[in-house]
Amino acid sequence: MDAALIVYALNLSAIYALMAIGISLLWSSIGMLNMAHGATFAVAGYGTLVIGNAVLPGIDSLFHGWAALGVIRLAVLLAAGVGVGALFGLVIYLLAFLPIHDKANFAVRGMIVTLAINLATVQTLLWWFGPRQQALPSVFGFGRLTLLGIPVRYDQAATIGATAVLLGVALAWLRYSRKGLEIRAMMQNPEGAALSGISVRRTALPVMAVTGAMAGAAAVLLSQTVYVSPGAGAMPLIKGMIIALLGGLGSVPGAAVAALLIGTLEAVTGVIPFLGQRMVLLVQFGFIILVLIVRPRGISGLLDETRK
Amino acid sequence: MGAVLQITDLSAGYGPLRVLHEINFTVDRGERLAIVGLNGHGKTTLFRAITHLVGWQRGSILFDGVEIGGQRSLGEGRRTPGIVRLGVAMTPQGDAIFPGLTVRQHLDCGAWSRRAWKERAKRREMIFELFPPLRKLENTTVGTLSGGERRMVSVGRALMTEARLYLIDEPSLGLAPVISQRVIAALREIDVQDGAIIIAEQNVSLLDGQVDRMIGMHAGRLRGDVGHVELG
Repeated sequence: MDAALIVYALNLSAIYALMAIGISLLWSSIGMLNMAHGATFAVAGYGTLVIGNAVLPGIDSLFHGWAALGVIRLAVLLAAGVGVGALFGLVIYLLAFLPIHDKANFAVRGMIVTLAINLATVQTLLWWFGPRQQALPSVFGFGRLTLLGIPVRYDQAATIGATAVLLGVALAWLRYSRKGLEIRAMMQNPEGAALSGISVRRTALPVMAVTGAMAGAAAVLLSQTVYVSPGAGAMPLIKGMIIALLGGLGSVPGAAVAALLIGTLEAVTGVIPFLGQRMVLLVQFGFIILVLIVRPRGISGLLDETRK
Repeated sequence: MGAVLQITDLSAGYGPLRVLHEINFTVDRGERLAIVGLNGHGKTTLFRAITHLVGWQRGSILFDGVEIGGQRSLGEGRRTPGIVRLGVAMTPQGDAIFPGLTVRQHLDCGAWSRRAWKERAKRREMIFELFPPLRKLENTTVGTLSGGERRMVSVGRALMTEARLYLIDEPSLGLAPVISQRVIAALREIDVQDGAIIIAEQNVSLLDGQVDRMIGMHAGRLRGDVGHVELG
């Protein structure tokens, strides 16, 4: 396994982790399988496109000739994607969580409503922007830098770095803030949380916004190599969902480990001569099915011993 | 002033099953009340109706003059945080602990009010005074604790805020006699001030001398108000 392959695997893993952790976190804290996560991805992509085209020329002239221009451009695009993603998370909260969260069978209803939001959003994007794939304003071009003797493409370095920072901030927030404590309490025992005065409605809002922001970040980072299109969210949604399942639905560390596994598997499958890129999905699903047969609760069963 | 809790014609149950049958009782300020009765006669359902955790309910529950009851057949748990924030602290049966959090984080969860959150270090100290075994377990995950320790954590969580009504469900359930006596003794230490405490228990001998009043519960109805019990 050469170094470039490892970088490619990390790059994929980073994007997958952003999607899967969002899905996993939502499921374990408010009990909703968010099928509209892919729509958040696509909306954030288009939001970034619109904002980027409007703002970046001004930024370019303002910081003309600066060495850090690329970083500033990336920061602007990321901020746009994160912001739009968080806003769309809010929309999902208002449409799919608030009206039905205390009705019977919320898990199934929530899945249906978010799936409807997903379809409606993709159709709206198709109608407004058309089916044509569009490229985000490029940030770095296709240059490379050499880190520790390993050649890394700029966009890969940015993806891995930005993901590490974003996930670090999100996990630290979950671990050390008061809101994070309330969210974790709610994840582990909703009734105990209610009896501690923790309201699901008030706690769900920041979770929806943060997971939406993660999907938005994933959209911006992936769109450096893949184009923005109305259906762009489908594949990240499916992969995020199966990785969350593999990790043990609801476990954040499990999702992170699973994302690393699947990212690496995808990178390795791509270079094996008789498998190649077109067999990637087959190998991934086969692997996940195999793991779930052996460990029905996913990887997280290995990681945390104290569950009810 | 008036009563801390005034319950009128409260019925409650789960689906087609009716557990409570038009219950009426009043709890005065500063009172320590025990509701005694066998398993499955509605003590837990009564507590869960007060905090809206039961399947359906109807009838009036006046808490400090504020109506927290009413008729409802859906939305189980929807109003619970609001009721807790009015000043009702409940230790549910089975403790409702957060298995992955440490004892310390657990107690912090109970400190929901702004004042309690600011003073949480002091209040944790108070809980450790009340339950000395918890002090050295401060940074242990609650999921790994024994039943007695969990009960202490659960009661401790309910004591972190300034509640006016404490509902303690089966403090001795599943505990060794020595430990359940310690838990009951700790409950005796709680300063109810102008509030009240209600303990549901089936082991009457444990409560001997620890409460002001006992009410029996049988088949979803209150039976036999024992009245004032001599304090030990």
